[in-house]
Amino acid sequence: MNWISIPAGLIVAAAVIPPLVLLYFLKLRRRTQPIACTLLWQRSVEDLRANAPFQRLRRSLLLLLQLLVLALLALAIMQPQIQAGRRAGGKTVILIDNSASMTAIDGMDQQSRLDEAKRRAANRIEELYGRGLFTQEAGETMVVAFSDRAEVYTPFTDSKPQLLAAIERIRPTHGRSRIADALALARAFTTNVDPDSDRPLGEPATLELFSDGRIDDLADQVLRGETLLYYPIGSPTADNVAFTAISMERPYDRPTSVEVFAALANFNTEPVIAAVQLSVNGVANAIEEVVIEGAEIDPATGVLIPARRNVIFTPFEQPLGAVIEVANLRADDLAADNAVRLVVPPPRRLAVALVGSDSFLIRTVLEGMGSIERIVKMTGTQFDELAQTGGVDQYDVVVLDNYAPSAEFMVPGRYLIFGATPPLEGLNEFGRGKGQLILDHKDEHPLFRFVNLDQLFISRYNLLQPADDVQVLAEGSDGPVIVALVRGPMHVVYVTFDPLDSNWPFQRGFVTFIVNAVEYLGHAGEAISESSFVPGEALSARLPAAAEKVELLLPGRESPVSVPVTDPTQFSWGPIKLSGVYGVSWEMPGEDDRSARPLAVNAISESEGDIRPAQEIFAREDNVHVAAGGGNQYMPLWPWAVGLCLAVMMLEWWVYHRKSYI
Amino acid sequence: MADFGVTTQPRPTRIDELIDGTLMSKLDQVDVLSRKIFAGKLQGERRSKKRGVSVEFADYRHYVHGDDLRFVDWNIYARLDRLFLKLFLEEEDLSLILVLDASASMDWGNPGKFVFVQQLAMALGYIGLTNQNRVTLYAFNDQGVVPLPSLRGRRRTREMGSWLLDLAPGGASGFPEAMRQIALGRQGKGVMVILSDFMFKEGYEKGLRYLAGGGFDIYCLQTLSPEEVDPARHGLAGDLKLTDIEDQDTAEVTISAALLKRYKENLNAYCGKLRDFCIRRGIMHVTLDTSLDMTTVLLDYLRKRGLLK
Repeated sequence: MNWISIPAGLIVAAAVIPPLVLLYFLKLRRRTQPIACTLLWQRSVEDLRANAPFQRLRRSLLLLLQLLVLALLALAIMQPQIQAGRRAGGKTVILIDNSASMTAIDGMDQQSRLDEAKRRAANRIEELYGRGLFTQEAGETMVVAFSDRAEVYTPFTDSKPQLLAAIERIRPTHGRSRIADALALARAFTTNVDPDSDRPLGEPATLELFSDGRIDDLADQVLRGETLLYYPIGSPTADNVAFTAISMERPYDRPTSVEVFAALANFNTEPVIAAVQLSVNGVANAIEEVVIEGAEIDPATGVLIPARRNVIFTPFEQPLGAVIEVANLRADDLAADNAVRLVVPPPRRLAVALVGSDSFLIRTVLEGMGSIERIVKMTGTQFDELAQTGGVDQYDVVVLDNYAPSAEFMVPGRYLIFGATPPLEGLNEFGRGKGQLILDHKDEHPLFRFVNLDQLFISRYNLLQPADDVQVLAEGSDGPVIVALVRGPMHVVYVTFDPLDSNWPFQRGFVTFIVNAVEYLGHAGEAISESSFVPGEALSARLPAAAEKVELLLPGRESPVSVPVTDPTQFSWGPIKLSGVYGVSWEMPGEDDRSARPLAVNAISESEGDIRPAQEIFAREDNVHVAAGGGNQYMPLWPWAVGLCLAVMMLEWWVYHRKSYI
Repeated sequence: MADFGVTTQPRPTRIDELIDGTLMSKLDQVDVLSRKIFAGKLQGERRSKKRGVSVEFADYRHYVHGDDLRFVDWNIYARLDRLFLKLFLEEEDLSLILVLDASASMDWGNPGKFVFVQQLAMALGYIGLTNQNRVTLYAFNDQGVVPLPSLRGRRRTREMGSWLLDLAPGGASGFPEAMRQIALGRQGKGVMVILSDFMFKEGYEKGLRYLAGGGFDIYCLQTLSPEEVDPARHGLAGDLKLTDIEDQDTAEVTISAALLKRYKENLNAYCGKLRDFCIRRGIMHVTLDTSLDMTTVLLDYLRKRGLLK
C-alpha cells in the first residue's frame, strides 16, 4: 500500500482529533433538573464510578466512534492505494515470446524461459480474473505467441479457463523474435476504426510482453497509444555458445569428398573451450577442440560483440548422400543452437543437352566438367522434336547456344542461354548494341563465384528490357547483360551475347561461369552447399513430377504426417518451427519402396544466440522507455475509507439516539 | 423534560378537595385498627390493656391492705384460704396520631406527594374522628413541628381539614429532631401514622427509634411519586444537573441505562432497608405511589396491612 498525500492527512488528524478529545472531556453543559432528593442519585452515580474500568470504557464509546470517524477521514485524505490485481479493465493482450532464445534452460527447477513465461502469464491471468475484493472488472484478454510469426492462441475473452488453456498450448519454436506481426495482430483486434461502434475509436489495449527482450525488430516499432508492459524472463548470467554458419563443398577435383565449414560465436564474456564434433549420418567422424575468446561489450553502446571462431574440418570421403551434423559438445543454456546440420546430396552427375551451333567453346568447357555425366549435342530441330515429345525433362540443363526455339517448344526446364533471346514473356529484346563493359554484377550470386567481370568487354549484344520478375545479374553500360528468370519449373539464365562477341572466352572466369551456371541450374531446388532452411521459413523441395503420397517426418517424431501436394515439383510445407532434420518421402508409380530425402533446418541467428535477457527494452518513437515489469495498478482505498466513515457515523448516531450515552 | 417531577397539580384549597362525600360515606364503615390495645384518656370504643372497672375479667393479684374487698375472689379464698383480687379490663378510647412530612421534597411529583399525604391524612383523620378516636396531627420540617392536638368527634373534621389546607411544604425534613419532639411530647399511646417519603439524608433510623421506644403502633406510609419510582418511564434523560429542592445539593449525571438501573436498585434497596428496620421494631411499612387511587389505598392497601378495618 502506498499513500499519496500523507502530510495532508496528518495535518487534518492533528487539527481535529485533539480538539475533539478536549471537547469531549470538557465539562458538559448540563440541564438543571429539580429533584425531590438527590440521595439515591448520588449513590447510583458513586456505584457506577466504583466500577471504574468498565464504566470509563462505556462512557467513551462515543468518543471512540468519533475518533474512528476522524481517523477514517484522515485516512481518506492520505489517499491510500493498494496493489490490487494490478491492471484492471479494458483489453489486455498477453504476448509470449516463444522464439529460440526462450528455450534456454536457465530458470528455476531447470525450467525453460518459455515455461517461466507461461507460468508468469498464467499468474497474470489469475490476478486479472482473481475476483478479489479489490479486483475490478478484468475486461477481456487475448493470448498471442510470437517468434518469426505471431499466432493467436485465443481471441479476446474473459474466460479464465480458456485463457489458461491457451497459454498451456504454447509450444517452443527455434525461430527468431520478431514482434511486428504480433503488434499488428493486437492492433487488428483492439483498435476500433468503426465510427458507428459504441467503443471509442482507436481504443488501445494494454500489451503485456513476456520475453527475454531479444526481439530483432522492436526498435523499429512505433507504439500507437498502446501501453506495453514488459516482463523480463531469464537469468542475466546466461551462458551460450552458438553456431552462426555451416557450409560444405565437394571440391571440383574430388567430387566424392566433402569439406565442412562451421562458424561459432561465444556470447559469454569469458573465454570458453568447446569440443566441436562432426557426425555423418549420426556417426561421429571428427572432433575439434577450439578455444573461443570472450565476448566484448562496446563501451559506447553497451552492445555485446561476440567472439567468433571458424572451424574447418578435414575433407573426408562421402560418395553418397548424407546428413552431416556439427555439434558443440559443451553444454550451455541454449541447446537449440548447439548443433547444425547439412544434407549432402550424392554427387549426382548431370545430363546436359547442348543445342545450337556447334560451338567448340562451350562444348569444350562442358566436356571438361567432371560433374557432367553426359553431354548430348543436338540441333535446334532436334530440340524442338524433343520438346514436343516431352523429352526435355531427361536433361538437367539445356544449353542453348545462339538458338532460340519457338515459343511452343520453350517448355519448362533449366536453360543456360547464350546469344539468342528466348521467346519468354518478360525478356523483351529491342535491338542490338555495340560495345559495352560490365558496370555491376551480383558477385554474391552462385553464378559469379570466383568470376570477375571487370575485364569483360562485349562487342555485340542484344538490348534487353527485362520485366520486373527477371533478375538482372550483370548490368552493362547499355543495360542488362546477364539475367535469370525463375517461373515455376522454368529456370533460365540468359546471357545476352555470344561469348565469341566478347573477350570473355579469354578469361578464366568464362569457364568458371559456365561451370557455376550448369551446377546452379542442374541442382536447383536442392540443398547443395548450405542449409537453406531456418525456422520461420517454409520447407521446399523439388520432387519428381510423378511423386505421390508425399509425407513429412518432423524431427523427434516417429510417424510422418501426410502433406497434400498438388505439384510435387514445388513441394512446400511450413512454417518451420523447430530445427532438425526433416524427412520428405514419396511414392513413385510402379515402385514398391518409398523414396526419401532429408531436409535440414538450423536455428542460426546471432540475435537469438545472445540470450542475456534485456532488463529494459525500447521501442522507437523518441526512445520511449517501456517499463520493465510492474504494470502495477493501484486501487484507491479512499472511497472505502469514506464509506466506512459514513457507516461509523450512522452507528454513532444510533448509539447516541438510543438514549444511551455509553 | 424541564417539568420532570415538578408538581403541576394545584394545592387543594377546599376541604372537599381533600375528601369528597363519596369517600366519606365509604369511610364511615371503616375504623382504625391497632395491633396493640392502648389506654386512652376517655372511655371510647376500644379495649384497653389498662385494668379497670368493667365487666370483663382480666387477671388476679394478691390482696394488699387497703384494696377494695368487693373485688376479692371468695371462691379462691374458700379453696386456698388466701385472698386474691380480680382484675377487669377497662374500655378506653384510641389515639390516632398522624405525622405529616411537610418538607420541600414532599412538594414534588405528579400527582404531588404532599397533596397525596394531605388527602390521606384527611381520610385517616376522618376515620378516627368518626369513630370517636382522639386524633392528633403533626406536621414537621426543619423549622419544627406544627401540631393540631386532640381532635375528637366528627364535628372536628372541618377544623382538621382547615389545618391540613393551611400546611405549606418547605425546607428540609429535620426528621430525627421532629420525631424526638413528638415522642417526648406525646402523652399516652396510640396509633401513629407517619406520612412521608422517608428520603432523609440524615437517615430515618434515629427518628424512628425515638418513636419505636414510645410504644406506639407505628405505621410508616412511604409515599413516592411515579417519577421517583420510574424516572426513565417519565422521560428523565440527558446530561442533567439534579438539584435537591430541599438543600439545593446537586448531582451531575448523564442518564444512561446503567445509571437508571442502578437507581432502581438503590431505591429498592433503600425501601427494603427501611422495611427491614421497621419490621425489626414492630413498625408496619407500606410504600404508596401517589398515582394510586385514594379509595384503593384506604380500603385495600391499608386494610390489608391492618391499619384499618
